[in-house]
Amino acid sequence: MLGVRLLVFVVLCVVLMGVDARFDALKTVRSQMGLVLTPFYWLADMPVRIWKGATEQIASSSSLMAENEKLKAEALLMQRRLQKLAMLTEQNVRLRELLNSSALVDDRVLVAELIGLDPNPFTHRILIDKGAKDGVFLGQPVLDASGLMGQVVEVLPYAARVLLLTDVTHSIPVQVNRNGLRAIAAGTGNPDYLELRHVAETADIKAGDLLISSGLGQRFPSGYPVAQVTEVVRGSGQPFAIVRAVPTAMLNRSRYLMLVFSDSRSPEERAAAAAEAQADADRQAAEQAGQASEPPAEDAAEQGEPPAVEAGVAQ
Amino acid sequence: MIEGRPNNGWVIWFSLTVALLLSVAPMPGSAELGRPLWLGLVIAYWSLVLPHRGGLGAAFCFGLAQDVLAGTLFGQSGLPLILIAFLVLSLQQRLRMFPLWQQSMVLLVIFGLAQLVQLWLNTLTGNRPPTLLFLVPVPISALLWPWVFVALQWLRQRFAVH
Repeated sequence: MLGVRLLVFVVLCVVLMGVDARFDALKTVRSQMGLVLTPFYWLADMPVRIWKGATEQIASSSSLMAENEKLKAEALLMQRRLQKLAMLTEQNVRLRELLNSSALVDDRVLVAELIGLDPNPFTHRILIDKGAKDGVFLGQPVLDASGLMGQVVEVLPYAARVLLLTDVTHSIPVQVNRNGLRAIAAGTGNPDYLELRHVAETADIKAGDLLISSGLGQRFPSGYPVAQVTEVVRGSGQPFAIVRAVPTAMLNRSRYLMLVFSDSRSPEERAAAAAEAQADADRQAAEQAGQASEPPAEDAAEQGEPPAVEAGVAQ
Repeated sequence: MIEGRPNNGWVIWFSLTVALLLSVAPMPGSAELGRPLWLGLVIAYWSLVLPHRGGLGAAFCFGLAQDVLAGTLFGQSGLPLILIAFLVLSLQQRLRMFPLWQQSMVLLVIFGLAQLVQLWLNTLTGNRPPTLLFLVPVPISALLWPWVFVALQWLRQRFAVH
């Protein structure tokens, strides 16, 4: 009797797995169940939230003031970067018009919050608090403040699951920012680094190179920072060079992420919009110059950074 | 053993729900590797003490719920849970006579088998864990068994579930 019941349930499980793997029939069931079960993640995350809230409540006013100062200084620096960026963007658009190629100028983003991690420690997936109701779609790129994090692999009504760059099953087409060399960065299952696949022994790549998304896979927008090369091993007896790179995004620390909606406008429309935005920025800058007497202080460390990082971050 | 009608079934469902919650609760860094098989433990308990209430159905339902939470294929986490329930149910007459530590030993083997099935299913879906670390939850769950048993025993007697 028990054996029969076991057989029934096992067959049921196997059939369900087969159907789920091959067909889309169970997607609606899954999203309905997700509607009920999403609060579980929220509940499980509650102690962390409460702890955070409590520490913020009882933080001393001096530390708050220090943080405030820091944020103000940061905002000032960002403002300066932004001004420079508007000029660069317009220049970029003009140059690309000359080249008759399409340009990535601006993407719309939606900010989401992390609500859960995948309970399986061998997969690198996270759950975020935005879902189909917010317009999130399958395959949507996800960023944090410092780089690409991954893509959406499952959409529930009020939540979405994001596959991180470092998952074993994830790969992303990248480009070396210094010389445009293309490669595929594959996840290793280790949260600390990615590996570049099939890089020739003689390829011009070295430690410290910044890898940006190339946009060739038609999935990720191009130009976002992905990783920084840390180690290049040549002549190790392998057919290809071994290249390791550390993701620039803080994959296991970021709590707030951005979902990117790629721009569907034509290059001409984008150029027009960018020019308009530039005109606005100029006007604002003129007004500010009229009001503010002294320009913001320049930070020495600021100038050493490559411009592509700035463009990537500000986009 | 069956004394009158089954009552207070909600306690069983409540304990299983709490186990489900614990199975997705955030854990610090590498502790994630040793996350106990909470659902397995609770299902093993109820199958052991109340075999007539049927453990397989509950194992299947909560397996599906866990699949939705973990984003795995439907039935993928259900299969190991069903295996746990089945093995406990079929060994139930003997297991009840054992002292707690001996039950732990038997459960160590049962959980090990369940994790092995989980490994096969993960490999089938292209997500093979690179090392034997996937077995870490097994001894941890077995060590937790006496505590889980005592806690659930108290709960069961408090609400007179049978």
